[in-house]
Amino acid sequence: MRLVVVSAGLSVQSSTRLLGDRLAAAAAGRTPADVQVIEVRDLAVEIAHTFTNGFPGRALTAAFETVAAADGLIVVTPVFSASYSGLFKSFFDALSVTDEGALAGKPVLIAATGGTARHSLVLDHAMRPLFSHLRAVVVPTGVYAASEDWGAEGLDGRVERAAGELAALVPGLSTARPQPRRDSFEDVTPFEERLAALRPAG
Amino acid sequence: MQFGIFSVGDVTPDPTTGRTPTERERIKAMVAIALKAEEVGLDVFATGEHHNPPFVPSSPTTMLGYIAARTERLVLSTSTTLITTNDPVKIAEDFAMLQHLADGRVDLMMGRGNTGPVYPWFGQDIRQGINLAVENYALLHRLWREDVVDWEGKFRTPLQGFTSTPRPLDGVPPFVWHGSIRSPEIAEQAAYYGDGFFHNNIFWPADHTKRMVELYRARYAHYGHGRPEQAIVGLGGQVFMRRNSQDAVREFRPYFDNAPVYGHGPSLEEFTEQTPLTVGSPQQVIEKTLSFREYAGDYQRQLFLMDHAGLPLKTVLEQLDLLGEAVVPVLREEFAKRRPAGVPDAPTHGSLPAGARKKEGARA
Repeated sequence: MRLVVVSAGLSVQSSTRLLGDRLAAAAAGRTPADVQVIEVRDLAVEIAHTFTNGFPGRALTAAFETVAAADGLIVVTPVFSASYSGLFKSFFDALSVTDEGALAGKPVLIAATGGTARHSLVLDHAMRPLFSHLRAVVVPTGVYAASEDWGAEGLDGRVERAAGELAALVPGLSTARPQPRRDSFEDVTPFEERLAALRPAG
Repeated sequence: MQFGIFSVGDVTPDPTTGRTPTERERIKAMVAIALKAEEVGLDVFATGEHHNPPFVPSSPTTMLGYIAARTERLVLSTSTTLITTNDPVKIAEDFAMLQHLADGRVDLMMGRGNTGPVYPWFGQDIRQGINLAVENYALLHRLWREDVVDWEGKFRTPLQGFTSTPRPLDGVPPFVWHGSIRSPEIAEQAAYYGDGFFHNNIFWPADHTKRMVELYRARYAHYGHGRPEQAIVGLGGQVFMRRNSQDAVREFRPYFDNAPVYGHGPSLEEFTEQTPLTVGSPQQVIEKTLSFREYAGDYQRQLFLMDHAGLPLKTVLEQLDLLGEAVVPVLREEFAKRRPAGVPDAPTHGSLPAGARKKEGARA
């Protein structure tokens, strides 16, 4: 399966990326996977320009194509001001204005990192509604890693459970999911049909 | 091939002086720019239509009628006429009137408008944008071709025994272009009627423009109007020139960096690399414009946006001198050399009569 990690960590190496890598490795351990990682930081300027220009630049276009072609996504953000980071949200905003249905029916594993466990509800109060809105299929287990979790028991188990859920969802959904429809160039409604639809009845 | 200019009609402060022109100054500047276009040998002037600040041209036929009286050759057009929020009956009347006053030097470009509040201000709903464009244009098309119209639709009060006056000059409806940046439905509409399709590519990468134009050409052929390469295509472009390209870049950069549309975004260099914007010498403008045919095919109308980003009138007039002296004559020659036989010119009032009457029979 084609597995894509979207990581919005800002430092190198970030704990956000670390969590993304662990989730990807756990999922790939169950089903052979080709893993690609998108570091949102590297695309920050092109993301901003998508909003000022109206179209994505070349590197961002390539990233969007990678996401669209994925069988499963692992999305990881640091917590900023009690939510996902603005850059993380902007990546998906830019994606959805460019390709509205890019995530429709796609299995997505949500994960976040933070300084304390007090923000762990970011998974269910911010990330889950976002990906539901984008019509993704969000796996039941989200993974939150606070700083202290990197030295404590329990993170491994949550990573394994979430990765297992993602790996189990992919084969079913990748065949059921409609082919990505990039735009409406391929199937133009013949003009007579449009005219007919507006004709008064009787 | 026709060359011309199109104006958005925005009132934008000059970022180098902080000065904002008054509405009167801007309106008079648009007229001066149109007169200059004729003086330097261009073929077309097109004005936008807007119903909100900071734009002045809410009444295009008033402006174009005034310009018509002061010009001899220039074709007067729009970029665009709002087919969604204007009453198609009033469009039929206004532009037929203009046609008579301008001795046929009139065509127009239909557009939907993307300013949300304008729709409710005119009693419409932006979610019906495509349907409004479809229904209103279907009515407009009939009003110019049938002397007495009975009509009923979804968006406008019915008509019984209505005659739009004045009738189009010599019985020839103004040629219509349909402008759309990203709606394949509008390319389809233009193809269905055998009308022109204008892609305002100025903020878009080439591959996007290519797909829109290819779709229009394929559907134009599908509806039996001719071969794909015979479809009537128009493109935009925006340029800033000086004889020395470094001077152009230096002078235009503050305007680019603060422009309402692309300012505070990408760099001038990134934007010129990805879109049709050219800032440089006349030769660079020639090369870039000639490259459009590589992805859009041989096309009929090239409109440049020259009065953008708050440039003062004096500068715009200098730009038009350069365009007329150093760019357009070369483009005319080079495009003509490359154009295969069988690719038609853009229709004009003079060329249309026979064609328009024939087409009417084919698609009653």
